[in-house]
Amino acid sequence: MSPQQTSPKVKRRTVLQVLLSIPALALFREHAVPAAEPPADEFVEINGWILKRSDLA
Amino acid sequence: MIFDSFESFRSNGFKPKVIVIGSGPAGVTIARKLGAAGIPVAVFEAGAADYTEESQDFYKGTTVGDPYFDLDVTRLRHLGGCSNHWAGWCRVMDAVDFEPKAWVPDTGWPIRRTDIEPYLDEVHDILDLVPFRDDVPISDDIRWVQLIKSPAVRFGEKFGPEIQASKTIALVLDTYVTELQGDGSKITGAKIWSAGRDQGVATADYYLPCTGGLENSRLLLWSNERSNGGVVPHAEALGRYWMEHPQFEGGNAIMNNPDQFEMDDVSEAFFSPSLQAMEERQIMNFGVRFIKMPYHGAKWLVAELACLAPETAEWTAESIGAKLRCAAQLYVGWEQSPRADNRVALSASARDTLGIPRIELHWKKSELEHRTLLEGLRLFGETLAAKNYGRVRIADWVLNGDPYPTDQELAGHHHMGGTRMGDDLTRSVVDRNCKVHGMENLYVGGSSVFATSGQCNPTTTIVALSARLGDHLVRTIGQSAMLR
Repeated sequence: MSPQQTSPKVKRRTVLQVLLSIPALALFREHAVPAAEPPADEFVEINGWILKRSDLA
Repeated sequence: MIFDSFESFRSNGFKPKVIVIGSGPAGVTIARKLGAAGIPVAVFEAGAADYTEESQDFYKGTTVGDPYFDLDVTRLRHLGGCSNHWAGWCRVMDAVDFEPKAWVPDTGWPIRRTDIEPYLDEVHDILDLVPFRDDVPISDDIRWVQLIKSPAVRFGEKFGPEIQASKTIALVLDTYVTELQGDGSKITGAKIWSAGRDQGVATADYYLPCTGGLENSRLLLWSNERSNGGVVPHAEALGRYWMEHPQFEGGNAIMNNPDQFEMDDVSEAFFSPSLQAMEERQIMNFGVRFIKMPYHGAKWLVAELACLAPETAEWTAESIGAKLRCAAQLYVGWEQSPRADNRVALSASARDTLGIPRIELHWKKSELEHRTLLEGLRLFGETLAAKNYGRVRIADWVLNGDPYPTDQELAGHHHMGGTRMGDDLTRSVVDRNCKVHGMENLYVGGSSVFATSGQCNPTTTIVALSARLGDHLVRTIGQSAMLR
């Protein structure tokens, strides 16, 4: 389809869809970040104890 | 041969090719190498065959900076030197200890561990050691290492009979080398005090101070001052870069299975970091000494942990059951960064009974030392937690950066540096063969040549370096004889 044949209504709908999909991208980012975190985050220091986060459950 | 005084030695007419000053592990090891090669060597020992208060008095001095041991207590001045109070703990410095650390200035040796490895069989014979086992990595960060607690060879006792029977080694007691005399390119003589009076000057082709990691600096500083720079022509680093192994109790641990690591016969095990871990944390080498605690210590730790981490407390309680024997004290001994302002200096006011300035030791731990202790405990704790071997608690004073406790071990009585080895004339005193820069016939033996200290007890490395130096001298003297 050439640009000359594109309907102005379709164009607006496409733009709207793109705008609506932007917040969903953050989900991908949130999922990606924990996997990339350094192993040091496994540990937490409380009162001098070096513990695993899971120790606090 | 063993002589009770310089006078009896002189009467004998023995002509040494080499004068070794001091009869500790370094001096005796070098003398035995020379003697075995048929090279006549005199070992001048300032003290007597046994400990005396009069002899120890020459070792008095003062310390400026951090609290340290009395200088007449931390070393011994009689036959066998410091081997007489050595605990016998043995380990050779790690290969990484010889390498420069990009994150710490003035680190790195001009030789590598492979340069002393050919001498380790001899070292095992000298120190009565069983073979070392390889280190065992327990994570990317931490190695379980071996530190052999040997029978602690007293060099005077073990090698005295051999020296007595030797025709090439003359051990001379009560013979204090008060000063070396030099002309800027070679040593011309050693001034002697023995039997309560001045005995003139003794001469040989080669001279080797082996008087320990404090006294080597004192002797050379004083001699250089008296000879207007004729003993150590490049003296910028002389006495400097002095190091110890600070040692403190830094925390506790609870273990899942106390037999996870084979303990020695006093329930201790040792751990050190990988080079990668040192680099990541920007710290020096260290050793965690893991000591099993008595039962009440375990109860206290579990009770404290129950408030903080219920799951770990439950896990611990189940793991230990009724045994309650899996808690530990964590002592940390670590490598001190080489710093020029930590130094042996001559006192401006205090002198020994012969008028020679006493030592004024300037010694202070830096911020890097505290970081090494803290991050070292973190590395160890994170490894134990990640592997579920146990949990570590770091002591409050370490976490808070409070002053070091004064009621603990403080340090290892390990006196290192002062005549350090290197290629840079401004930052070292001896070259890779332990020869003083710019001097033809002056070598130094012992831990004063250490460029960095590593984390382990120094005696094993001292003996290996001494065997290497002995071999070097045998070759040098042999070549010199062939040229004549």
